Amino acid sequence: MDKKEITQKELGLERYYQERDWFNFLCQMLAQDPSETSQLSKEITEITVARYDEIIRCAEEGKPFIMGYFCAAPEIYEAMDLPWYMIMATPFLAASAPYLLEDIDAAERMGLGTDWCTACRLTLYYIEAGLTPKPNALIALIHPCDAATMLHQGVYRNKRWRDVPIFAMDPPYFEDQRGIDYYARELKRMVAFLEKHTGRKLDIDRLREICQESNKQYELWLEYAQLRRAVPCPHGWAVGGPQCFAITQVFQAGRPRGTAWMRKLVDHTERMVKEKKGPVAKERIRYFWFDLLPFGWVFEFLPWLEEEWGAVMVMDMFGYTPYTLIDTRNEDTMLKGIAKRNLYESPMVRQARGIADYFASDITRVVKDYKIDCVIWPGHMGHKDGSASTGIMREVCRDLGVPYIHIGLDLFDKRYTTPEQCKDKISQFFTAMGLG
Amino acid sequence: MESSERKLTGVTIKEAASKGENKAEAKVKREAKAKSKPLQEFQEATQTLANPALQDWKKQGGKVIGCYCSYVPEEVITAAGFVPFRMRGTGSTSTELADACLSSINCSFSRHSLDMGLRGEYSFLDGVVWVNSCDHVRRIYDHWKRKIVTPYLHFLSLPKKTTDVQVGWYRDEITTFKESLEKHFGTPITEERLWEAIRLHNETRRLQRQLYELRKRKSPPITGAETLAVMVAGSAMPREHYNQLLKKLLDELGRAYGHANYRARLMLIGGILDDPAYIEVIESQGGLVVTDSLCYGSRIMWKDVNEKASDAITALARYYIAERPHCPRMFDRQLDRSAFVMDMIRQFKVDGVISERLMFCDNWTGEAFMVGEDLKEKGIPYIRLDREYILTGVGQLRTRIQAFLETMER
Repeated sequence: MDKKEITQKELGLERYYQERDWFNFLCQMLAQDPSETSQLSKEITEITVARYDEIIRCAEEGKPFIMGYFCAAPEIYEAMDLPWYMIMATPFLAASAPYLLEDIDAAERMGLGTDWCTACRLTLYYIEAGLTPKPNALIALIHPCDAATMLHQGVYRNKRWRDVPIFAMDPPYFEDQRGIDYYARELKRMVAFLEKHTGRKLDIDRLREICQESNKQYELWLEYAQLRRAVPCPHGWAVGGPQCFAITQVFQAGRPRGTAWMRKLVDHTERMVKEKKGPVAKERIRYFWFDLLPFGWVFEFLPWLEEEWGAVMVMDMFGYTPYTLIDTRNEDTMLKGIAKRNLYESPMVRQARGIADYFASDITRVVKDYKIDCVIWPGHMGHKDGSASTGIMREVCRDLGVPYIHIGLDLFDKRYTTPEQCKDKISQFFTAMGLG
Repeated sequence: MESSERKLTGVTIKEAASKGENKAEAKVKREAKAKSKPLQEFQEATQTLANPALQDWKKQGGKVIGCYCSYVPEEVITAAGFVPFRMRGTGSTSTELADACLSSINCSFSRHSLDMGLRGEYSFLDGVVWVNSCDHVRRIYDHWKRKIVTPYLHFLSLPKKTTDVQVGWYRDEITTFKESLEKHFGTPITEERLWEAIRLHNETRRLQRQLYELRKRKSPPITGAETLAVMVAGSAMPREHYNQLLKKLLDELGRAYGHANYRARLMLIGGILDDPAYIEVIESQGGLVVTDSLCYGSRIMWKDVNEKASDAITALARYYIAERPHCPRMFDRQLDRSAFVMDMIRQFKVDGVISERLMFCDNWTGEAFMVGEDLKEKGIPYIRLDREYILTGVGQLRTRIQAFLETMER
């Protein structure tokens, strides 16, 4: 083992290098296709690579960086100029990497079971196996699900990580002003925690700039989301909500480069709508995919839906945009705005953290606004609360007169329900419902 | 030794004789425990939902409020003059109705319990109260409020951290709960009544701890299965009646022979285990369960609510959020939970630990892994078992327990 490899292992950067290289490879592939959508994807992939590079640089040079989350106030990390990465980076971002299934098996061998969310199992495995860079401070997530709460306790328990200062915001269950105020106070405690452990200070004027820029991003996202109501839908699964989400809440929260990307996306989409163009020659089914995309095997399934059935993913959980803009008058209004956005509006956290009503109301709004022909609840094996809401979703769809299917799969591990089995289920469903 | 003697039926006649007692006397003492009326009543209460004591209470016009987790502050219900009743799925044989609401990746406790609600088995309840205990149980609320007519439903937002800030939050939640009960039922819940309820519940906890004290003996006079029956019954009966019965049982056990011919002293850790038959299977192989960290076990009674606090609701909030032994859902207490298990092992001279987990329970997947790593470091034998809510796979369970005991060279 050479010196560079030893350093990688010590710093927990082994997978990080692999993933950075994987995204670089994807950039090169995308560069071969001059189409506007590929170029949009290429730019966002470059943004992803830049974040990997930033974290690698910090780890190698001993500069402060933290572990944080979308829906855990990335606006604040940005305002504090704190490089951050998401502990679930591999399952969320690099799930199509070639080593994923091997790592899932290793997690199982370690004793993490088979029915715990694969994203959480993998993440804890990476911590236990020393495959995650150790940050200066850790913002843990204890919602929206039990698995996330347990994951972060597992991280804290790990002896190598026990000296990493950890903070988690406590999530109230219901949505009301009391909950927003409570969470805003938790955010204030998070700021104090980060200031203490990173030496960085939160400048309120800088936070205002970030929030204002971030508001521009959300306005553009909303504009984009409106454009997706067009028939045919200008984009399918390959471009849209997940990328907007990645810009606004992961890689470019409140950064001008992200805003510029969003503007390009809107401009491109407007042209698509004017020209009545979409991802397929003839749009036959407009579906709402109510979850994350199946990151681990996305290329084996979602293109097939378009090609075989002319089925277009008009909306997905992460593309849905119920966001309100942050009032930037003062620190108090900003923290409450960030609290509301992160706790009650961010995807997954919005639906899964509290009562099941959001599952019902989001379906209702999306079905009506986007002329949806059917709702697909993928039923990821880790989303216990969501699958426990399946009866409610089914009944809402029945009332709306729109077909509903609950597949039952693992978004990361294609062996749980194979892409072929999913295709079979979907084909039977479309046929039985007279769709396509 | 004959196989029947290896089972935990109490001290053998041969052993009693060796202690200077005649066979007849030993037999009488053993049979006295077998016929213990309090124990029988507790055991019967675990085998049904509305036990006779609860039915009598209802006949007298008493009200019963269902509680979906040990974090529901039951003292407030008692202070209202009602009986808090822990929700179970006892007697359920299918989940057909619940399966239309939930899914196959939801735990079988949530499915059986909701199913019973949908079938009207819980019609004796005057209300049901939830906290956001876990991803499965909190969704029962969403279905219940849509599909089952119950006069009163309430949901408390339970924090996941345990600092003073969260104590303050839960204090407000308990206040809202109290006011909501008062408003709905027209029953004032005064500070004095709250303190009376706290004292009553603390008495239960003290009695239950006395029961556990007996289990520290070299020859504990009560099995793990019997203890679970006592604990479950405590969540289903009018509190004064329960305390009286438990006092009688303690009195009897103080004079009873203990179980001496076990192969190993075991600790059981896990979630919502309410079926003594599960422990009977473990004990049928010769392991004696002497302590636990369970939802119906030590976690609900190892500490008291502070009776010297300035106000009752703050005392309750502090107890539930900061002081009682915690469930894995509480974020910042994993090291404490592990220390609690280690302390139990030391106090009860435990030879091995069994973790039982309902399939699909994420809280206990994580906890079983973490505690397992801690136990491994200390060289304490440990086994992880998955189960369904309704006892199934008895043969497989027996085999695994046998193998576990053998690996312990017992």
